[in-house]
Amino acid sequence: MDLDTLAHGLVAGSLYALVAVSFNILYRPSNVFNFAQGELVMVGAMTFASAMSVAGMPWIVAFAATLALVGMICLVEERIAVAPILKRAQTGTAWVITTLAVSLIISNLVGRIWGPDPILVKPPEPLSMDSLNVAGVRISSYEVALVICTVALVAMVERAYQTLQGKAVMAVAEDREAALMRGIDPGRLGRWSFFIGGAFAGMTGVVAAPILYASTSLGPDLLLKGFAAAAVGSIGNNRGALIAGYIIGLTEAFGAALLSPGYQEAVIFLVVLGVLLLRPEGLFGRPSARTV
Amino acid sequence: MGPRFVARIPTLAQFAFLAAALALPLFVGADSYALFVVTQLGIYILAAIGLNLLSGYAGQVSLGHAAFIAIGAYSVALLTVDRHWPFWAAAVVGMALSAGLGIVAALPSFRLNTWYFAFITLAFALVFEKMIVEWRWLTKGFAGVVGVPAPSLFGHDFGPRALYYLVAASALAGFLLVRNIVRSRFGRAFVAVRDVEPAALAVGASPQRVKLLAFVIAAAFAGAAGAFFAVQKTVVTPDDFTADFSIFFLLTIVLGGLGTLWGPVVGALVFFLIPELLAGLASWRMLIYGCLLLALMLFAPHGLVGAMRQGWRRIARRSPAAPMAAREVSHPPIAGLSLEIAGLRKRFGGVLALDGVDFTAPAGACCAIVGPNGSGKTTLLNLASGYYPADAGTVKIGGAETRGLAAQRIAARGVGRTFQTPRLVNELTAVENVMLGAYRRERSGFIATALRLPSARAEAKRLRAEALAYLAFVGVADRADLEAGEAPHGQQRLIEIARAMMGGARLILLDEPAAGLSMSELERLEQLIVRIRDLGATIVIVEHHLDLVANIAGHVMVLDRGVVLASGAPADVFRNEAVMRAYMGERALKGGAPA
Amino acid sequence: MSEAPLLSVRAVDAGYGHVDVLENVSLDVGDRKIVALVGRNGAGKSTLLRTISGLIRPRRGQIAFAGANLAGARPDAIVGAGLLHVAEGRRLFRRQTVDDNLELGRYGLRLTQAEHARRIERIHALFPILREKRGLHAGSLSGGQQQMLAIAQAMMRAPKLLMLDEPSLGLAPVLVDQVLDAIASLRAEGVAILLVEQMVERALEIADDAYVLQNGRIIASGPAREIAAGDALRAAYMGEHGAAARA
Repeated sequence: MDLDTLAHGLVAGSLYALVAVSFNILYRPSNVFNFAQGELVMVGAMTFASAMSVAGMPWIVAFAATLALVGMICLVEERIAVAPILKRAQTGTAWVITTLAVSLIISNLVGRIWGPDPILVKPPEPLSMDSLNVAGVRISSYEVALVICTVALVAMVERAYQTLQGKAVMAVAEDREAALMRGIDPGRLGRWSFFIGGAFAGMTGVVAAPILYASTSLGPDLLLKGFAAAAVGSIGNNRGALIAGYIIGLTEAFGAALLSPGYQEAVIFLVVLGVLLLRPEGLFGRPSARTV
Repeated sequence: MGPRFVARIPTLAQFAFLAAALALPLFVGADSYALFVVTQLGIYILAAIGLNLLSGYAGQVSLGHAAFIAIGAYSVALLTVDRHWPFWAAAVVGMALSAGLGIVAALPSFRLNTWYFAFITLAFALVFEKMIVEWRWLTKGFAGVVGVPAPSLFGHDFGPRALYYLVAASALAGFLLVRNIVRSRFGRAFVAVRDVEPAALAVGASPQRVKLLAFVIAAAFAGAAGAFFAVQKTVVTPDDFTADFSIFFLLTIVLGGLGTLWGPVVGALVFFLIPELLAGLASWRMLIYGCLLLALMLFAPHGLVGAMRQGWRRIARRSPAAPMAAREVSHPPIAGLSLEIAGLRKRFGGVLALDGVDFTAPAGACCAIVGPNGSGKTTLLNLASGYYPADAGTVKIGGAETRGLAAQRIAARGVGRTFQTPRLVNELTAVENVMLGAYRRERSGFIATALRLPSARAEAKRLRAEALAYLAFVGVADRADLEAGEAPHGQQRLIEIARAMMGGARLILLDEPAAGLSMSELERLEQLIVRIRDLGATIVIVEHHLDLVANIAGHVMVLDRGVVLASGAPADVFRNEAVMRAYMGERALKGGAPA
Repeated sequence: MSEAPLLSVRAVDAGYGHVDVLENVSLDVGDRKIVALVGRNGAGKSTLLRTISGLIRPRRGQIAFAGANLAGARPDAIVGAGLLHVAEGRRLFRRQTVDDNLELGRYGLRLTQAEHARRIERIHALFPILREKRGLHAGSLSGGQQQMLAIAQAMMRAPKLLMLDEPSLGLAPVLVDQVLDAIASLRAEGVAILLVEQMVERALEIADDAYVLQNGRIIASGPAREIAAGDALRAAYMGEHGAAARA
C-alpha cells in the first residue's frame, strides 16, 4: 500500500468530514440539507484569503472575521430561503430548490467579486506546507495539524450537544412539537444552528485554503463529497461523518492512484450508491421507524 | 360576452397556441434562425414535460436532467456518425440508455427521503460530465461528435421544416401522453406518493415503484429530447450539458408551475420570449436564474400557470357542475378473507404494546376490537396491515402467512384500511381519492392508459361512476369534485371508507371510523358497514362507540394493555366486569354507581 | 367567586386547515382546581388542549391565562407563563436519558444549581423510579414510568396550570391510581389541572369541575359530581350500552 496516498486520503478526508459535520449542524434541528453549503465553504476560503493577503490582517483576526461573515450569510439564507418554506409546510422538499437557488446566487456573486484565479494561502506560523518525511511518508506539518484538529473539532461539536442548548437541539430533531410543548423555540435554535453551521463551513474553507488554494470553483466539489461523507456516515451522526469522511477521502485517493484522476468522482459516486443500496440509513445510523 | 364563452377561453387559447405552432414554419424561412430557435424550443418543451411529471407530480426533484439529455444526444450522435445507424433506432437506444442508467443511479434513493434523489441526480450529472471528457476514445472528449446526419424516412432526409414538425409532433404527443398519465390511476398514485405515502400504501401502490415509473418516463423523455438535440445542432460536445443546463430545466418548470399540465410549456415559452433580455445580460444569467428560482418558490410556488388559474377562478367563477347522477351499482358479493392472529407481540422501547394477542376474524364476519386508549388496538391493525413489523407471532390472511410482507403487498391481497386521522390526498378531489382506491383493481396497463385506448377509457369511465356511487352511498356525492382537503373531518372519514371499498377489499380494517362523526353521519356509517358486511367482506373495526359495535359486530375482543381481556358476543362482553374495570378503573367499580 | 379564573377560554373556534373541530368552546379553570374535560374520541379534547397551549391558532375567541391574553401567543411564551401541556402518548424525547429529559423540562428557566437540585430531589422523592433509571433512555422505560417522567418533566418548571392529556394511557390499574394520586397531590401544592382522561369516572372523582365535549361543542358543564350523575355524560361518552352495563 502506498503510504503517500494514504496520507493524501486522510488530509482530503478531514476536509470532507468537516463539510459533512457542517451539514449535520444545520440538519439536526431543521431537517434541511443545505445545498448551498459547498459555496459557503468557498466563501470562507475566499474571504480568508483576501483578508490575509489583500487586507493583511493577522491570522486570528481574519479567521474570526471569516467565521462571522459566513455564519451571517448562512443565517440570512435561513431567514430568506428556508424559514418561509418550512413555515408553509414542515415536510416537503421545496427547500431543495430554494437552497440550490441560494447556492447559484452565492457562486455567481462571488465570481464577480473575485476572479477565477486561485489564491495561494499560507498556513499560520509555525506550520507550513513544506513536505516532511515522517517514517517514509511525505506530509507537511500543516496537514498533520489538520488531521488532528479535525478529530478534535468533531469531539468538540459532540460535546456541545451535551449542553442544555445542545440537548434542546436534539429534542427538536426528535420531536419538534414535543419540544414546543416544553417551551423550546425551534425557530431560535434553527437560526443559531444555521449561524453556527455556516461559521463551521467558513472555518472549513479557512483550513482548506492552504491545501486546495482559495478558488471560486471549490463549491460543487466539496458539496458533493461532503454529502457523500454525511450520507455514508448517516445523516446527523457526527462521529459517523468523521469516519465516513476518511472512507471517502481514502477511496478517492486510491481510486485516483489506481485508475486515473479522472475517475475520482465516479469511484466516490459508486461507493455512495453501494452503501445506500445495502444500508439506506448509512453505516452508522438506525433504520427510521415509519409512523402512521 | 356570455359566461359560456368566458368559460371556454382557456380551451380556445390552447387551440390557438396549437394552430400558431403548426402555422409558424409557413411564415419563416427554412434556414432562418427563427425556425432553428422554435425547433429548439420544442425540444426543450419535450424534456421539461418529462421533468415536470417527475418533479412536479411525483415530487422527485431532479437536479441533473442535463445528463439524461446528454445520454440521448450522445447515443444518437455516436451511433449515427460512427456506426451509421438510422436515427430512429439510435433514438430508441438513447431513450432506453437514459432510462436504464438513470434507474441504476437513482434506485437506492427511492427508499430514502426525497432530497437524496436530488443529490444523487446532481452527483450523477457531475460524474457524467467528467466521464464524457474522460472517455475520449468513445466520446471524442472536448472536441465532441461532429456531423450528426439529419433523420431520414424512406430515403428522404428531413429538412429544417420537417424536423420542426417532427419535434412539434413529438412534443405534442409527449404532452398528451403525460396528460393521460396524470389523469389516470398512475397520476393519482404519483400525487399520493408525493403528499400522503400511507394512503399510497393503503391502496397497494408501492412508493418505490411509483417513483421509479415517474423517473423512467422522465428519463425517456429526456433521452428523446437529447436525440433531437443531436440532429438539430449536428454537433454534440460536453459543453452543451453542464450543470447550468440542468438548472435551466428546473427553472423552466418552476416558472411555468410545478405539477401543472401546461407549466413546462408556458415556462419554456416565457424563456424564449425574453431571449433579448437575457442575451444582453449573458454573464448575469445564472445569477438571474438563482434569484428567479428563489423568488418563484417563495411567492408563486405554482408558477405562472398556478397564478393564471387563480386569477381565472376569480373572473370566471364556474357554477359547480351538477354532480353526475350517481347510479346505484349493484356490487357483486365479496368473498371475505379471514384474519387469524396468534401470539402477536410488539414492543416499542420499554413499552410492550401487544403481549401475545390471539385474534380471529372468520371470513365474512364483522369483529370489533375495543379497549381503552393505549391498549394496543391501533398497533394491532398496523401490524396486521404491515405498517409495522411484528416482534413475534403469526398473521394469516385468508389462510396465508403475511407477517413480514410490506404494507402495499398486504393491501394488494385484498386488505383495505382506514386511519385514525383520515389520510386523503388533499389536492385530489373526493372522487379521485375514491378512484385511487381502485389502484390495484384497474386492469388497463400503462401503455393502454398512456395512449388512452378505448378499453382504458371505458374502464376509467366505469370506475368513476362506481366511485361516485360509493360517494353517494356514504352521503358526500355533492363534494365529489371538490378537493378532499376541504371536506369536513367527518366526511373525510367517509371518503376514506369509500376508498377502501373501492379497492374491492375482502378484509377491511377500520380504525375508529366513528370518531368525530355527527349523529347523521354515524347512522350512515352504520348502514355502510352493514352493507359491506352483508356483501360478504370481513370487517375488523376498532371503535369506542359501543352502540355501533353492538349493532354491527358479531364478535368483540377487549384489549387492555396489550393483552386480551375478554372476547365473545357483544352483549356478554359488555356485561363483563373486567371490561368495565378496564374502562372505568378499579375504584369506580367498587364505589358502585354514582346516583 | 368574583375573582377571574386562572384560565379562561371564551368562544373559541379552532381546527386544522380547512377542517373545523372546535366550535364556540368556553371553559374556565380556577386556581388550584382540577377540571376534567371528557368526551368520546374525536370530540375535540386534544384539539382544545393544543389550542390552549398555542400549537394551533384559534380562529376566533379569547384565551386568558393569569390575566394575560394568550390567544395566538407562541407556545414557548405560553409555557413561559406557567401553562404546561403534557401531550397524549407522553411525547418524551425517547433517545435522551431520563435525566436529560428532566433537564429539558426546565429549558429557558433560570435556576440556581441549588434550586435545580432541590426540584430534582423533590421529583425523586415523588417518583423514586426516576432516580433508579436516571441514566437510561426514556424510550426504554415502561408506559407507567414514561408517564411519571412526563409529569415530572412538567414539574421541573413549577407550573401554575398543568394540562394532562390521557395520563392513564396504557397503564395498569395500580399505576393509574398512582398517577391520579400524584395529580391530586399536585393540586395540594397549588397547581391547577386541566385533565383529559378516558377513565371518566376516575377523573370525575378527583375533579372539582367538569366539561363534556361532543363533536367540538361543550354540551354540559358544572361541578364534577353533578356531571358524573347526569345523562349528558353517558350519552356522549359510552352510548346506551355503557349505561346499560352499569345498571
